[in-house]
Amino acid sequence: MTAADIIRGFHDELTAIRRDIHAHPELGFEEFRTSEIVAGKLAEWGIEVHRNVGGTGVVGVLRKGNGQRAIGLRADMDALPIHEANGLPHASTKPGIMHACGHDGHTTMLLGAAKYLATSGDFNGTVNFIFQPAEEGLGGAKAMLADGLMERFPMDNVFGIHTSPGLPLGQFSIRPGAMMAGGGFFDITITGTGSHGAHPEDSADPVLAAATIAQALQSIVSRNVKPTDTAVVSLTWIEAGAAYNVIPGTAVLRGTVRAYKSEVIDLVEARMKRLAEQIAASFGATAAVDFRYLFAPLVNDPDEARIFADAAASLVGEANVNRNSPAIMASEDFSFMMEARPGARINIGNGVDSVPVHNAMFDFNDEALPDGAGVLATLVEMKLLTGDV
Amino acid sequence: MTATDAIRAFHDELTAIRRDIHAHPELGLEEVRTSDLVAAKLAEWGIEVHRNIGKTGVVGVLRKGNGQASIGLRADMDALPILEATGLEYSSTHTGVMHACGHDGHTTMLLGAAKYLAETGNFNGTVNFIFQPAEEGIGGARAMLDDGLFERFPCDSVFGMHNRPGLEVGKFSITPGAAMAGGAFFDITVNGRGAHGARPEESVDPVLAAAAIATGMQSIVARNIKPTDTAVVSITCLNAGAAYNVIPDTAVLRGTARAFKRETMQVIENTMKRLSTSIAAGFGATADVDFRFLFAPLVNDMEKSMEFADAAAALVGEGNVNRHGNAVMGSEDFSFMLEQCPGAYILVGNGDSAPVHNALYNFNDDAIPHGAGAYATLVEMKLPKGTL
Repeated sequence: MTAADIIRGFHDELTAIRRDIHAHPELGFEEFRTSEIVAGKLAEWGIEVHRNVGGTGVVGVLRKGNGQRAIGLRADMDALPIHEANGLPHASTKPGIMHACGHDGHTTMLLGAAKYLATSGDFNGTVNFIFQPAEEGLGGAKAMLADGLMERFPMDNVFGIHTSPGLPLGQFSIRPGAMMAGGGFFDITITGTGSHGAHPEDSADPVLAAATIAQALQSIVSRNVKPTDTAVVSLTWIEAGAAYNVIPGTAVLRGTVRAYKSEVIDLVEARMKRLAEQIAASFGATAAVDFRYLFAPLVNDPDEARIFADAAASLVGEANVNRNSPAIMASEDFSFMMEARPGARINIGNGVDSVPVHNAMFDFNDEALPDGAGVLATLVEMKLLTGDV
Repeated sequence: MTATDAIRAFHDELTAIRRDIHAHPELGLEEVRTSDLVAAKLAEWGIEVHRNIGKTGVVGVLRKGNGQASIGLRADMDALPILEATGLEYSSTHTGVMHACGHDGHTTMLLGAAKYLAETGNFNGTVNFIFQPAEEGIGGARAMLDDGLFERFPCDSVFGMHNRPGLEVGKFSITPGAAMAGGAFFDITVNGRGAHGARPEESVDPVLAAAAIATGMQSIVARNIKPTDTAVVSITCLNAGAAYNVIPDTAVLRGTARAFKRETMQVIENTMKRLSTSIAAGFGATADVDFRFLFAPLVNDMEKSMEFADAAAALVGEGNVNRHGNAVMGSEDFSFMLEQCPGAYILVGNGDSAPVHNALYNFNDDAIPHGAGAYATLVEMKLPKGTL
C-alpha cells in the first residue's frame, strides 16, 4: 500500500481543510487564520510547531529515529487580490480576495503529508514542514530565510510542489536544471522639464527621452545577453502627461525582467540603469531606476529532481511522470530557498479541464490531494531511509 | 476729443458690465446669460440684434448713412474650466469656471465701441458687431461661419482684439502677416496584441511600437518641414498598460502640432499618418491617427494691420504702438474668420497681470476705453463720412 493509498483513508478530512482555507483566503503576510489552522493541525498530530517565522510563516518539525539527515518540504499559504467568479459552494467569503493559484491545495497537501508521516511514516531523521506566507510577489520566501529558516531548522535539501492546470490528474512533471525564470519588476522615472506643448524649447521633454529608452531597452536581450542564455525585458506600462497641450515634467516606464540565471538578471539590471541614465542625460533629463529582484530563477538540482520523479513514479507509474518538461518563463519565490539548499519543485496535474491559475474561475482539484501529499511523504521515506544515520 | 475720451464718460458703466460678466462665466456654447446681456445692451442702444448665430453667438448690425462699405468687429465670450483663485469681490460665482483669458473684457470693449458708434459715432456704412461663442478649442468661429456669418452679414474686412498681460495699459502691439500658429490635437492609437510579460513571443508589443513612433515623430520637424518654416510636434501624453507583467493590447500617444501655414500643418498630418501606420506595421501592429485641425494659423493682412495700428496710434501715439510684434506659437480661432475675410488682430496692453489661463488672472478695466476706442476709431477711419 502506497502513502497515497493510506492518505486516501483521510481524503475527506483533507478536502474539508482545503475548502475551509479556500473559503477564507488571506493576502500575503496576512495569513492569520490560515496559519492558525496549520499550527493547530500540526500540534494535533504531535508535530513541534514554530510560529511567526517570516511574519505569518509556520514551521513544523517532526523527528523520527536518530538519523542526522534532514529534509524541508515547503508549501505557500497566501491568496490573490482577485474577485472569485466560479460560484462554488466553498467560494471565497472575502470579496476581492481569492485562492486563484492553488495555495490552499499546496498547504493542504503538505498537511496531508505531515499527518501521514507523523502517524504512520517510516523514516529516520528530521522533516521540516515549511508553510510559507506571501509567495505572490511580496517576498515571503526571503522573509523566512531572513528569519533564519535554514539556521534554526537545519536541512540538507528542500522540496516544493505546485498545481499545474492542463496536466492530467494523477500526473507529475519536473525537469532537471533551470525550470522557472527569475524575475524582477522595474520602474524608470524620467524627470525632465514640463512646458506648454507649443513651446518645446522651454522643455526637457521626458516623453521623448522615455520613448528612446523604451526602444533602447530592447537592445539588452539582442546585444548584451549571451545568445545561448535566455532573457526577457518587457516594458508593459508607460505613463506620461494628461493634456494635449502640456509637455509633462515626468514620464514613467514600468515592466518586468525574466531570466534563468541570477547573473543574467544582474546584467539586465546594470544595462537598464546605464541605458536609462545616459539616454535621459543626453536629453537634459534624469532617470531613476528602481529595479526590484523579486524571484530568483528556479533551478532544480538534477539529483534531487530525479529522486522526486522516482517518488512520483512509485505512486502513479513511470508513464505518468514527465521527467523533462519544458522550462517556463513564469516565476516562483521558492527559488530563493533552493538557492540556499539543493532541492527540486514538482508540478502536479490539476486536470486537463482546469482553467489557468490567476483566473477568477480557478479552483484547486481536491482529487489531486492524495497524490500530492503522497509524493511528499514518499520522497521523505526514500531520502531518509530507516536504518540510515 | 478722441473716441477713447468719449468712451471714458461711460467707463463706469462698462466696468460694471465687465465685472458682471466676470462673476458669471460660462463655458463655450453655453454663453446663455452672457449673450442675453450682450443682446439686451445692443438693443438698448438701438442696434439691430441677431441671436443664435453659431448657437450662442450674437451679431449686432449698425448702419449709418448710405455707404455700401462694411466692417466686422469680433469679440469672444466664453470662459475656461479653471477654478478662480483671485479672491476678487466679483470673482466667479460658478465654481470651476472662470474668465481666465479676458473674454469678459473683449466682450465689454466691443460693447463699448458699439455704444459709442451707435450714439455718437461718425461713419457711413455698416458695422457688424460679432460676439462669438466657444473660442477655447470648441469651434465657435467655425460654428458662426457654418451658420453663414459672412453671407448673412457681409463684411469687407474683419478685426479682432486680445488683451496682452505684460504689455503696459495704453499700449498696442500688432504682427503683420503670420501672427499666431495654427494648431491641431492628435490621438494615435497603436493596436498590437497583449500577452503575459514573460511571453513576449505571443505578443505584438504596442508599447515598443509606440516608443518607435514617438521618436520617429521628431523627424517631421527636422526632416520634412522646410527649415525656414516654423512647426512644433509635441507628444504630451503617452499611455499604455496597467500591470508590470502584462503586455497590453494598445498604446495611445496624444499631443499637439503647431505651424504658421496651413500647408505646413498638412505636411505634419500626412507625415504623422505615414510614420505611424508604417512604423506600427513594421512591428506587426496597426495605428489609427485622429488628427483634429482646431485652429487655422492666424495671418494678419499687411494693409489691414497698418490700418488697425494707425487707429491705435491716433489714440495713444505712435510711440505706444508696436507695429512689428513677434509671432507666437499660441493659437486663436478668429483665424478661421480671417481666412474668409481679410483683416487683422491687435493686442491691447493688460499691464502687469498674471498670464492668461492662470487662476490668478484678471482683465484690467483700465484697458477698456483704449480697446473700445481703437475699434471705434478704426470704424471711423475705414468708413469715413461722405464715401459710398
